[in-house]
Amino acid sequence: MSSRLPPVTGEWIDRSRGVDFTFDGRAYRGCAGDTPASALWAADVHVLGRSFKYHRPRGVLSLANHDVNTMMQAGARLNLRADVEPLEQGMALTSVNTAGGASGDRLRILNALGGFLPVGFYYKAFHRPKALFPFWERVFRRMTGLGTLDFGAPHIRTPKRYDFCDVLVVGAGPAGLHAALAAGRAGAKVVLVDENARIGGSLGYQRGGSIEGFEMLRDLERDLADLPNVSVRPGTLAAGYYADHWIPLVDAQRMTKLRPRAVIVAGGAFEQPAVFRNNDAPGVMLASAAQRLLYRYAVKPMDKALVLTANADGYRAALDLMAHGVAIAAVADLRADGEPSALSMRVKQVGIPVLKSHCVLEAEAVGDRLVAATVCPTGADGKPDTASPQKFACDGLVMSVGWAPAAALLYQAGASMRYDTTTHQFVPERLPAGVFACGRVNGVYALDSRCEDGERAGTEAARHLGFDTPERSFSIAPERSPPSHPWPIVEHPAGKNFVDFDEDLHLRDFHNAAQEGFDNIELMKRYTTVGMGPSQGKHSNMNAIRVLARIRGVSPGEVGTTTARPFFHPVPLSHLAGRGFNVHRETPLHSRHDGLGAVWMQAGVWLRPEYYALPGKRKSEIVRDEARAVRDAVGLIDVGTLGKMELYGPDAGAFLERVYTAKFSGMKPGTTRYAVMLDESGVVIDDGVVARLSEQHFYFTTTTTGSTTVYRELQRWNAQWNLEVGIVNATGAFAAMNLAGPKARAVLRKLTSLDLSNEAFPYLALREADVAGVPARLMRVGFVGELGYEIHVPADRAARVWDALMEAGQDDGIRPFGVEAQRLLRLEKGHIIIGQDTDGLTQPDEAGLEWAVKVDKPFFVGKRSVEIVRKNGPRQKLVGFELDAIGASTAPRECHLVVRNGAIAGRVTSIAWSDTLGKHVGLAFVAPDMTELNSPFFIRADGGTMVQARVVPTPFYDAEGLRQKVVD
Amino acid sequence: MAAALRSSPLAHALATLHPEWIEVAGMPLASKLRDDRPDRSAKLGICDLSALPRIGLKGPGAADWLSARGVPVPDQPNTWSALEGGGAVARLARTEFLVEDGFSGKAVARLAPDLKPGSPGVYPVPRQDCALALTGELVNELLVQTCNVDFTAQTRDARVVTLTLMVGVSVTVLQQRLAGTDCWRLWCDGTSGPYLWETLTGIAAELGGGAVGFASAFPDAQLQNLQ
Repeated sequence: MSSRLPPVTGEWIDRSRGVDFTFDGRAYRGCAGDTPASALWAADVHVLGRSFKYHRPRGVLSLANHDVNTMMQAGARLNLRADVEPLEQGMALTSVNTAGGASGDRLRILNALGGFLPVGFYYKAFHRPKALFPFWERVFRRMTGLGTLDFGAPHIRTPKRYDFCDVLVVGAGPAGLHAALAAGRAGAKVVLVDENARIGGSLGYQRGGSIEGFEMLRDLERDLADLPNVSVRPGTLAAGYYADHWIPLVDAQRMTKLRPRAVIVAGGAFEQPAVFRNNDAPGVMLASAAQRLLYRYAVKPMDKALVLTANADGYRAALDLMAHGVAIAAVADLRADGEPSALSMRVKQVGIPVLKSHCVLEAEAVGDRLVAATVCPTGADGKPDTASPQKFACDGLVMSVGWAPAAALLYQAGASMRYDTTTHQFVPERLPAGVFACGRVNGVYALDSRCEDGERAGTEAARHLGFDTPERSFSIAPERSPPSHPWPIVEHPAGKNFVDFDEDLHLRDFHNAAQEGFDNIELMKRYTTVGMGPSQGKHSNMNAIRVLARIRGVSPGEVGTTTARPFFHPVPLSHLAGRGFNVHRETPLHSRHDGLGAVWMQAGVWLRPEYYALPGKRKSEIVRDEARAVRDAVGLIDVGTLGKMELYGPDAGAFLERVYTAKFSGMKPGTTRYAVMLDESGVVIDDGVVARLSEQHFYFTTTTTGSTTVYRELQRWNAQWNLEVGIVNATGAFAAMNLAGPKARAVLRKLTSLDLSNEAFPYLALREADVAGVPARLMRVGFVGELGYEIHVPADRAARVWDALMEAGQDDGIRPFGVEAQRLLRLEKGHIIIGQDTDGLTQPDEAGLEWAVKVDKPFFVGKRSVEIVRKNGPRQKLVGFELDAIGASTAPRECHLVVRNGAIAGRVTSIAWSDTLGKHVGLAFVAPDMTELNSPFFIRADGGTMVQARVVPTPFYDAEGLRQKVVD
Repeated sequence: MAAALRSSPLAHALATLHPEWIEVAGMPLASKLRDDRPDRSAKLGICDLSALPRIGLKGPGAADWLSARGVPVPDQPNTWSALEGGGAVARLARTEFLVEDGFSGKAVARLAPDLKPGSPGVYPVPRQDCALALTGELVNELLVQTCNVDFTAQTRDARVVTLTLMVGVSVTVLQQRLAGTDCWRLWCDGTSGPYLWETLTGIAAELGGGAVGFASAFPDAQLQNLQ
């Protein structure tokens, strides 16, 4: 058996190219241009998937990219939309969310248990007894989910790109096509997108048994082809709207971030289902779905149909079906007066009986196939009169009772929408500048009106952008009859009259939700999950609004809509990921570290050597050896990642006094000073070393991660203060390396003529001199607690200096050391790292930085906050500690909690085993009353083990600082 | 070639492409790459020009300082003016400038000795840029995959300077005709250079282009004053 029709004018399939595929293990053959759903329907397979909750059989509903129950899996590819995605040769399709395939799903038993699974049941059940919760969790994890994730799936690179145009037209139906033509003829650069594989929208399939609309489409396509400034992009979804007209366009290959100067939304409307019992049976479908099957895929949707309608489109569908050999049992029209247009007469002329003021009470399926539908007169209150039902044998039921505007982009753009009682839909009331709407989304349905409305929007958009277009008035005729029925919903005592097909929500669920107090549309959405499935409410939100409005006795306009957030349609994660750029910076010495076997780590945006790998040695050994080299001989570390700023001008000293907590105006040239930066709330945000090169020239460092932020803040502050300074971010322009260790002076002496004696170049001094023939700034600082020189040189000559230092240090056992060794060395000295030993709330007093805060200055950023906080005392204090159990096997780690009397009293910020000291040492925040020296406290380590520590003074190593101040 | 004192931020990346080096202003410049194809520059070539001499300065007196030394100062921020020998003076902000010599320029050599801390209102900005030239018919395709600025809206004659982000890196971009070749010039902090180079050349390779040597990108260029 096959339901494939003889060739249909305008069909999308290529009959000359067969496509073999399987579905749930059975082999089928379709045509190129088919979708899996159309090919299966042509093969008379009507159960294409199972519903989410009750596992009811589901077939074609919309064929418009929201048939969520027919999503399939193709190998590793998940969430394949069977209703719209192209069928491919060799596809092995499987149904999802089933046990045993779509047709034989063993979980269909859940349909019979529906009475025990009311809306929100999972909020109330399975919590007690508590011990069983993990069991239920496993059960539901097994039962739910759409498809099986394959972690071995290949990474698909989908490069993003940017694009620009004058006018973007979203939707290439009659309104969008006319809009694009109007804007294009005015000279605008236009991009016209449509999510469908071909343009034309309803012109291609809502034909009403006539070829006129399709011929109009051909003409429009020819007109577009004459406009080189109009780019037509089918198969492209405008997935959202972001500020300033940023629109992500999603196609099969990529996401394009388009920035048009104006946007015309002509996205049409989503046809809405009627709500009646068993409205989900395979064979019950939207009229537009039946028409798409006919005209796009040349598939006969059914042999005999009942048409349920409330607008002209249902009549057109009846004529279309009949034109292709489908018998029409009857047209049931919800409206008392029926269809006012000539379509009514045409339907009668071909012998189709029309039942005015009739609704469908229920559909009847045998097995998985629709066999009949029961129709009743509708009372004045909209309720069915079940006293005189008529039963029609049919294997198809098409519904055309209303539309919901595809207005997500308008909402996201900030459009104000109102509920229009002449069309019974939400329409734009006020549009933001540069945003236009036309066609069905604008409440315009008659074909001629849509065309004119599109032309109006295109003209207005072009004029808005300054293109010269002739003055013209547009007159859009009002609709003769509402295209949507205000209440296409029929109650039934046995339920299964579905409002949301994604989530298996039937009418009663909404009454239950309202009864429980969830009678606001946003609350109802979250409680029932209406509109939260993959179709995002495209076929359910409007009916949900109507249901809630009736429950509350208000209009749909008063109920309002839920928030429309981008993306309004699911977008593949691969598209969002794009290429996956991994932004990073490399110091000028990167290649040198590579050559030395650096193991890289990310420090902010920087790549830094964590340590230098050696064959046969473990990381811990290497780090200790690197640290030992610094303590015993000499080490060299690349500190070029530090932020580096130049500050010039007569107000430079005053400027620093304001941004840092210390005093700088009195600094002598050739000296350096530790500097702490606070934010306005007094929180420590950065630190560094300030060096004074001359009266009006300072050079200072920031933390590795802080340079960009600090530079931005400095500019921001000076924009307010207007001091006469010039700030230059020289972070990348200078390389920096720290030569540290007792033999540092001996090594450096080989490469410079500078007098390195303690008298000429004392601790914390700054000197400028050539090192290895390269002009350098040298600072005698001691972050790692040894005699050390921080050497700053122009980036393009850094490698030369590094090489010279390494060579000069050969005889003294010089060794490069990485970040891990540096962290250990500085911890032994009790030096804090901002961001590790502080957090987003740490005040200077809490981190032991009181000494660096000069509150006797008239002003510095954060001063007022510090003074206020000082009145209240610190919340916590950073203390040094050591573990009582030497060599403890369960040593705590950073961020482990300090616990007192069962409550959190602090946390470890740094901890390491020190070979030099022969014990674990660390820094921890503790409560202010726990800082007494030698007082014990407990840290909860891995597995809940309580480890005893003891407060000790810092520095742990060389408390007098003699090693860094070492004299000759 | 004697060991050069300076090295390009891209020296390491270029070394893997087996270049023939020439020295420009004390820095090796990749003249030819082993896999240079004649058509690559015409399609989409990316060439390292970090070796070209350049200086930066800012401050309220910067414009006057340049004018006093005969440098054509652009009237407006975000525009540039040409220097003799193919160089450019880019006005990056109201009071900030980038000056770079072309292949036969000598302006930087003349200006640099004067540019020292101490001139009132004139503050030196050390420029250790990664400097690139993008050539070929597919440059715009590379730009739209990496940057959200519509460069097609800029004409070369308008001499626009754009400061923006490209694949997460702060860049300065302008369009220039250099030694007879139309190109887009691009500067970024040298420490971001290797990442930007790797990213751009990777995308360019997908588009049929890639890294090119100086001689391939600028076949008519005559290096003077810089060697």
